[in-house]
Amino acid sequence: MPPSYLLTSVTFLPLAGTTALFMLRADDHEWIRRIALAISLFEFALSLQLLRGFALTSANYQFVEFRNWIPSPPIHYHLGIDGISLFLVLLTTFLTPIAILVSWKSIEQRVRAFFISLLVLETGTIGVFVSLDLFQFFLFWEVMLIPMYFLIGIWGHERRIYAAIKFILYTMLGSILMLVAMIWLYELSGSFDLPQIQSLLVSGQVALSFQTELLLFAAFFLAFAIKVPLFPLHTWLPDAHTEAPTAGSVILAGVLLKMGTYGMLRFCLPLFPEAAHRFAPYVAVLAIIGIIYGALVAMVQTDLKRLVAYSSVSHLGFVVLGLFAFDPTAVQGALYQMLNHGISTGALFVLVGMLYDRRHTHLIREFGGLASPMPMIASLFLFVSLASAGLPMLNGFVGEFLILAGTFARNVSWASSAAVGIILSAVYLLWAYQRVFFGDLIYEKNRTLADADRRECVVLLAMAVLILWMGIGSVSFTRRTEASARNVFVLMQRPQAYNARAILRSIEPLRSGGVR
Amino acid sequence: MSGNLAQAYAPLLIHLLVALGLSAILLILSSLIGQHRPTREKMQPYECGITPVGDAREPFDVKFYLVAMVFILFDVEAVFLYPWAYVFRELRWFGFTEMLLYILILLAGYVYLWKKGALDWNPSKTQRDRQT
Amino acid sequence: MFPPRQDVLRLMPEIILSLSGILLMLIEPFLSGARRTLIVTLAALGSGLALVSTIYPATLPGTAFSGLLRIDGFSVFVHVVVEAVAFLVIIGSADYLDREKIQHGEYYALVLFATVGMCVMAGAAELMTAFVGLETSSISTYILAGYRRDVPRSNESAMKYFLLGSFATAFFLYGIALLYGATGTTQLARMTFPTTPGRERLLDLGLGLMLVGLAFKIAAAPFQLWTPDVYEGAPTPVTALMASGPKAAAFALLLRILATVGAAGTFWFWALWVSAALTMFVGNLAAIAQSNVKRMLAYSSISHAGYILVALAAAAASDQVELGVAAVLYYLAVYALMKLGAFIFVSQLGGESERHMEIDDFRGLAVRQPVAAACFALFLLSLLGLPVTSGFLGKFYIFNAALASRLIWLAVLLAINTVIAAFYYLRVIVVMYMRQPNQTWPPAPMPWAVTFVLSIAAAGTFYLGLFPGRVMALATQAALSLPGR
Repeated sequence: MPPSYLLTSVTFLPLAGTTALFMLRADDHEWIRRIALAISLFEFALSLQLLRGFALTSANYQFVEFRNWIPSPPIHYHLGIDGISLFLVLLTTFLTPIAILVSWKSIEQRVRAFFISLLVLETGTIGVFVSLDLFQFFLFWEVMLIPMYFLIGIWGHERRIYAAIKFILYTMLGSILMLVAMIWLYELSGSFDLPQIQSLLVSGQVALSFQTELLLFAAFFLAFAIKVPLFPLHTWLPDAHTEAPTAGSVILAGVLLKMGTYGMLRFCLPLFPEAAHRFAPYVAVLAIIGIIYGALVAMVQTDLKRLVAYSSVSHLGFVVLGLFAFDPTAVQGALYQMLNHGISTGALFVLVGMLYDRRHTHLIREFGGLASPMPMIASLFLFVSLASAGLPMLNGFVGEFLILAGTFARNVSWASSAAVGIILSAVYLLWAYQRVFFGDLIYEKNRTLADADRRECVVLLAMAVLILWMGIGSVSFTRRTEASARNVFVLMQRPQAYNARAILRSIEPLRSGGVR
Repeated sequence: MSGNLAQAYAPLLIHLLVALGLSAILLILSSLIGQHRPTREKMQPYECGITPVGDAREPFDVKFYLVAMVFILFDVEAVFLYPWAYVFRELRWFGFTEMLLYILILLAGYVYLWKKGALDWNPSKTQRDRQT
Repeated sequence: MFPPRQDVLRLMPEIILSLSGILLMLIEPFLSGARRTLIVTLAALGSGLALVSTIYPATLPGTAFSGLLRIDGFSVFVHVVVEAVAFLVIIGSADYLDREKIQHGEYYALVLFATVGMCVMAGAAELMTAFVGLETSSISTYILAGYRRDVPRSNESAMKYFLLGSFATAFFLYGIALLYGATGTTQLARMTFPTTPGRERLLDLGLGLMLVGLAFKIAAAPFQLWTPDVYEGAPTPVTALMASGPKAAAFALLLRILATVGAAGTFWFWALWVSAALTMFVGNLAAIAQSNVKRMLAYSSISHAGYILVALAAAAASDQVELGVAAVLYYLAVYALMKLGAFIFVSQLGGESERHMEIDDFRGLAVRQPVAAACFALFLLSLLGLPVTSGFLGKFYIFNAALASRLIWLAVLLAINTVIAAFYYLRVIVVMYMRQPNQTWPPAPMPWAVTFVLSIAAAGTFYLGLFPGRVMALATQAALSLPGR
């Protein structure tokens, strides 16, 4: 295959696009918006090329680019995607134009900086999904924090600074330990290259002692669990989501949280299978707690945006559960649910943002009876809520079904307790819907609220179409992810000799003192 | 080796002890034997025989310190000349040029001091302005 | 009649620096009136020429002056760092000195002399030479710290620095004496010989005292107490110099002793370990509590000394010192650039008599001076160690060295400290980017000299953060050029 620079272009196009924005005058808001939108749409079109060239049945990395970068320690510029990352890249490129469109009018200050941050963020997130070198992965993983930090901190709501700092400190705590673990893994395997480390591990040329594996797994898992976020580590999320501007929430919920689950699937499971098996019951319990706790807390929220934020905790719990069920079906479901959540929760945030643009509040009690002044928004809100609650024919159903089906095969009680979460999610979403859109119009100023304009309609309909398509035509997605989802379990296998060697190595005391 | 050391330094030590002892004995004896009739004049600090004026604890002009410092600087530098003189013949021209360099650098410092007015006891007004 | 020609060439940077220093000192009293441009140009030229002339020692490795100096890749690397720092500080100081009305030739002469001292420290193969270098650099910086004569804080700074610094050099000298007693030589390379029985204790004691003396200079806990006061009181460009130059030189000396004297590695290891951990925590925790940005940066430089000590401990723990030494060298280069940039920025923003040093004075700076604020934010993010900036790669190499030497716990402590540090660096960014502009005073526009220094520092920060290959290769080469135990 001739070398292709498609992935590089997809990754860095938004970053290159920012130079165009820098050339515009800072107060030429209209053109800044247009150019930013054009860049993001072009980026989306470009990323669709990935679909065309993607080999369906292959579990290998595709569109691989490999180049030397830093000679010592050996670090490469290594890009590639497989079925796991393909749709996450597409999700990112899909949600960014949406995020730009919803910020069209609501962002009035420092417009240029806002769109630049959004585009840099896009490069960062895509970079995370396409990196196959641990060092490079970490680079994108951390770089992406900065634009997000500014998005929340500058254009957020009242408690934005608190939320921004909380967000970045939480994530940094996890990721810096992951860096230590990555370097340690390098010391053990002599490489930063993910496929290479993977093959060394699978072939048994490098064997990690069980103790080492546990520690490494813990360090990686902590970073990802904070990002997901898994139950006791979730406290940054409601603040960050609530305080972020709509575009920030859309990207945060749609893409950034997926980086955590993606990391688990890409690193934690295939690199440290024994530790993953050891930890799985605890992780599953935490995930189930997250599902139910998130749903219950969402139910009692008085703030609509916070409600959606907590629903994320609940939904991501499903994804984690699916991953740690160690079942190809469940993993497929988890992947699917990652995309679902990105689109339906993204759409919910968009809708909440539209309400906020009109009323400048997120409080549920400030609304009521909105269905009559804004029928379009009301009907789409219902549609998205139902999708999010897992109504058959819509996308959420497919993911949840696959996860539960896969989990049942492994552990009935996990699956049945997680199923409670589906019921609860219907309860809080529909109850909130009822309070916002049905009932009497209590407040006079709600009577005159405008329905969705053309721009908003475009955004909502695009998302609604995708929701419907993912509900009906799920095969077009799953057949692309299947090979990679199965491959995860191939990668988790270790040679038989491995066990004996692992025992031998664990007897050797861990030389942590470093005395010569 | 410690035996040698003691032998070599013994005369010095004895000399030191004798000197200390003698002065101590003299002081103690004089205070024991002598008669003490303190008067006001006798208790005054001795200043070359002139009647002292004012308190001795008054701030000195910074010029004194400056001169003291300059003196110490150039005096200490001179110490380097002694070992140099000792091996001068062996070093030959190399030693000569090196020392020339050294003295030139010293000289630069001296010129600097001079032009800055550090050696001027009563700097004129213009110079004082330039310093600040 | 003259010393061998190569010896002179090997010493070229030092000679140029000294001569330009002397020249500046003499010009000062002889010229009056409009001499600012001349002085600044001469000083910049002197340091720039010295930087260029480092090509001589780089191409002529070997010992010079009967083995007093050892010119190798290592010393050249440190030379370049130190001379670049001097060059940038000189250019960055000019406007500050104008503002404070202390524009004198002596200032630049002292900076150049201090640099000579640092260069000598970097190349010293013999302890008395090292001591001379240490004193030359120290005494010059003592004076520089008190250069704002009429400001009590500056005087306090100079006094504290002088008293504690003299103590430190005394310790160092005592250490040299004991080492001489133990081994019968002050040549580092010859100290590798096994000592006569009964003298090991003396050797250890001497090494310990030398470590104490140098720990003062690099502001390692528990000898860091002077740092915040001295850094805060000194004129800010001088602080920039003190934080990057002498620290690099002292680390270089430590490294050379560590790599050359076999006993040092074993004996120092735990001291370095404990000091590294302590220094990181002391620096970072104290920095959180600061409301003065200059003081905060002073504490942050303590914590960075701790990070570098981690790599030093890694070098001491391992049989292959290269990894640790290269990490230290890389970090020194990185650190010098970003710290210098940060301090020069603060010196410009502080305005007349450094009035605006409180964190609140930085409010909304991003709106008023977007480019300058972006530069400062870059330095802060680099100090924090976020990717794409040089600080991250510096830290990465330190992690790498620490883990290669199996110092896992020290690496974890370093990781924890990074997060603690995030708190106070980000606070400044929050104030600059997320608060409304301060209405009471408009910050003065950036003079071109300061802009020049900031852009060089920023460009370097990006370059070292994205393409470390070349510099890291030089650092590794430098590490390998050490004689080895």
